Amino acid sequence: MDRKCLLAIGAGALIRLVLFTAFPSLPTILAQRVEISTPVTSYKRLQEGIYLYTHGVSPYDGGVFHQAPLLLSLFSILPPSTIVTNLLYILADIFSAISLIRIASSGVPTVTPHHVSPRKANSWPPWAIAAAFLFNPFTIATCIARPTIVFTNTIILHSIAAAVNGRRGPAFVSMAMASYLSLYPALLLPPLLFLTYDSLKTTSKPSIQAFSAITTIMLSIVLMIYFKLSHMITGSWEFVASTYGVHLLLPDLTPNVGLWWYFFIEMFDSFRAFFLCLFQLHLLIYVPPVCLRLRKQPLFALITLIGISSIFKSYPAIGDTGLYLSLLMLYNHTFSLMRYTFFLAAAILYATFLGPAFYYLWVYAGSGNANFFYAITLVWSISNALIVADAIYAALRDEHETERPELIGKDVVQI
Amino acid sequence: MALRVPVNLRKNLSVVLYAFQGLSILAVIVGLASLFLLPLDEYSRRTYISENALLPGQVHAYFGGSEQNIVRAFRREVDLLGNSTSDVVAERMAEIFRSAGLKVGKQRYSYKAAGGEYTGENVYAVLHAPRGDATEAIVLCAPWRNIDHLLNEGGVALTLALSRYFKRWSLWSKDIIFLISSDARAGPQAWVDAYHDLHGENIQSLSVKSGAIQGVVVVDYPGAYHRFESLHILYDGINGQLPNLDLINTAVQISRDQMGLRTDLQEMWNHDDGYRHRLKTMLRGMVNQALGHSTGPHSSFIPYHIDAITLATHGDGGWHDEGSLGRTVESVFRSLNNLLEHFHQSFFFYLLMAPKRFVSIGTYLPAAMLLAVGLTLTAIRLWVDPRSRSGEAGVKVEEKEEKKGEKGEKGEKVKEGEVIAVNGGPKRELFLPMSIVIGVHFCGVIPFAVFNSVDYKSMSSVFYIFIAASVILPTLISILITLTASPHRLLPAFHLSRCFSLLFLGMFLSTLATLNFSLSFLIGLFSLPLMFARTTPDSVPLALVNSVLLQLTSPFAALFVVAGYWGLGVEDILKEASFGWWVWGMWTPIVVWCVWWPAWVVGRISVDSSIVMAVTGKRG
Repeated sequence: MDRKCLLAIGAGALIRLVLFTAFPSLPTILAQRVEISTPVTSYKRLQEGIYLYTHGVSPYDGGVFHQAPLLLSLFSILPPSTIVTNLLYILADIFSAISLIRIASSGVPTVTPHHVSPRKANSWPPWAIAAAFLFNPFTIATCIARPTIVFTNTIILHSIAAAVNGRRGPAFVSMAMASYLSLYPALLLPPLLFLTYDSLKTTSKPSIQAFSAITTIMLSIVLMIYFKLSHMITGSWEFVASTYGVHLLLPDLTPNVGLWWYFFIEMFDSFRAFFLCLFQLHLLIYVPPVCLRLRKQPLFALITLIGISSIFKSYPAIGDTGLYLSLLMLYNHTFSLMRYTFFLAAAILYATFLGPAFYYLWVYAGSGNANFFYAITLVWSISNALIVADAIYAALRDEHETERPELIGKDVVQI
Repeated sequence: MALRVPVNLRKNLSVVLYAFQGLSILAVIVGLASLFLLPLDEYSRRTYISENALLPGQVHAYFGGSEQNIVRAFRREVDLLGNSTSDVVAERMAEIFRSAGLKVGKQRYSYKAAGGEYTGENVYAVLHAPRGDATEAIVLCAPWRNIDHLLNEGGVALTLALSRYFKRWSLWSKDIIFLISSDARAGPQAWVDAYHDLHGENIQSLSVKSGAIQGVVVVDYPGAYHRFESLHILYDGINGQLPNLDLINTAVQISRDQMGLRTDLQEMWNHDDGYRHRLKTMLRGMVNQALGHSTGPHSSFIPYHIDAITLATHGDGGWHDEGSLGRTVESVFRSLNNLLEHFHQSFFFYLLMAPKRFVSIGTYLPAAMLLAVGLTLTAIRLWVDPRSRSGEAGVKVEEKEEKKGEKGEKGEKVKEGEVIAVNGGPKRELFLPMSIVIGVHFCGVIPFAVFNSVDYKSMSSVFYIFIAASVILPTLISILITLTASPHRLLPAFHLSRCFSLLFLGMFLSTLATLNFSLSFLIGLFSLPLMFARTTPDSVPLALVNSVLLQLTSPFAALFVVAGYWGLGVEDILKEASFGWWVWGMWTPIVVWCVWWPAWVVGRISVDSSIVMAVTGKRG
């Protein structure tokens, strides 16, 4: 880490600190925004859970708290002061930025064992990537609102940072933790496996089959330890249904930026089970093709899956999109190949502004209705999906031009 | 197949650019023209009562006869208290309400804004519904002094008389609250804030409360004259929010059809229902909506999703008296009493152009949206334009391709002499334009904070200093950038800063159009020159013309126009804005200083830079 990285981190921490201290009511206001806090990450619900837990009641009684038990123990150890909590969240973002710097300086975004980008020279320096993460308004808003997604994001980034350096243990222990906290990071395990395997620094590599078998066993043991710990903390297995059950079965239909809530409000109960399976399978179905097609760039496959799950998972928030966009900055060198950057950026900005306005019309002014907000979440999801698609196009084009340098600069026509 | 078209267009950028320019101009023209079509019979609609439960004018109103003597007696009472302090008034009013057998509450409030202090004491009484469960209430309000600071003799007297009169009926299913606010601007706001427990520290809490307020009628009947000509219905709320159209329709239908009272809107006293008068009514309504200020005590209720109107009397030569006004209010209250649920059936977004003529959001929204679309299309055109790229302008990226072969053959063609490097030709430098736009937008906080904190006395001098500063600031910034940045980056930087600024403005205006159509439309109208004001280092006269044009459509010019429209000084408008921000929570100042002013400054920067570039000889 050089001086510029430290400067970026310092400035990022400072801006958060200033926002926390200069506007003491801001965290509460932001924490109430449905775009930032979801039922499975909300800080308000976490406090409720902690209150119940410290008073000897099962935190999952009452159906308000849906977060993992280990978070409870973390927050009940901490002194109950706002400053400490705020510092913890700032620290989490700093760790995320450090992980991003480590990923960027490893060079994996441009050079993998199977692929060397011809645009290598254009990639951003690590400090710029850290700055893009730290000054992303979505990330800042998420940090100030203090949903627990911040920790999941930090752990995912830490895991990727370990994986690109070929450190299997930390990578999988962290990714297991991320999956334990928010379930959907489990989708990232296959590309993480490829990424770690490609980055192994040992001279005699094991075969990929052996590698994945050992990793899977290790992963299951780690997960079992997490579950056992949770069981010990709460004293029952109730947490499984209240956390993963909520992710999977969507009992809470609070609006969010995703596509599920409106769909399942409108749906007749008899179809609910079928569409729940369909929606969950839909997420799962992306994993094999993305991993196979982007085998040469496993990090990109992983980022793409993060992007896809940030659109289609059951309780998405802008924090997920913030993570995806920050990671996408690692592939800045391929952006010149993307075709709709300006339009998509404009669409995202439009949705960012119109979303709160329509939510206001619906909930406060009473002059709009749920369709207003849902329309905007559709725009938001479509533009995010187009970003994912366009980024895949750019990455594949980059790969393609390595194989066929004579086609550089030619137009592609879909037939 | 579908993707072939953009690919081909990529090679003929000028077609795209002209198309975008044409489209954006077309959008603006259509947007403007569509506004002027609205008053026509084909585009506007007759109003109708949407909520069947209201049954306006279906009941006989009994207020009159001896009740009129009571009103006159109370009028005398009010007249005697005319010059007393607000606590004496409140005490006397409370006494009267108590003698009628109502629960009474009093509330002191004090607001500070623009160096002035606004204090007073509201007094109100709650009539518990004989057939209700105190979950719903309707409010009859009369400000002690109306919005023009005239003693509201008739209104207060009528409210007092009606409180006695309503008490005798057993048919009320909702509680009725009689509110005598100490003034028309701060008092109702203090009361409604406290009613919902959202009041500041200098405002007392309410001792007596009732249920959720379903509707508010304000009576404004100033002066010693007993007779009036017509009823003026005021309906604009804070921040341009409007009450449900059903409430206005009810009032119009009752006063016109049942009582034979003429109704007026937006101070159009001789409405002939022709095109010109309709247009004028609509435009006046739009100006009030755009300013987002309070036009009467009802305005403060509307942000709480409470539908409210003011019934103000107009003229003193007519043949209507307290009796007709009292019967109108009685009949409106009987209708409100019928409501089964909150007003929701009819429109919340509309423009009224005559008492019985309106256009709904679906018809008028395209006008404002098209202006915003025009700005966005211009932003997209600026982005696509090769001049946004540093390096050689308009470099032909590729050699001309041969005629297309068969499907699938394309991949096989190998071309010699590819010009572009792997990084894809000249790139756009985003850092400088981004920081210009973001920096200027942050600067918008400065005028906002300054004008909301200075005293009324120094307001005008601060304002002129600020005008001078914002005339010089863009020139200074453009000199600074021209002197520091390298020449070949200059033009693209100004080009892209315009692009981002227009994109942001278009985005913001389309968002605003859903919240406050009129404000969005008027700002869009004033911002039109920003679409055309560009950097022209080769033609200084054009730059000067542009600069003057921008100066004429600046936020300051708009402020002077507004001041002229109301016949007030600029400092009065600024005082009103500051008062609006501190008391009503009015957004207009934020929109003007943090969105419009920065966009204007960026426009000025790119125009001024052409003069600076011409003078310094750095032409890029």
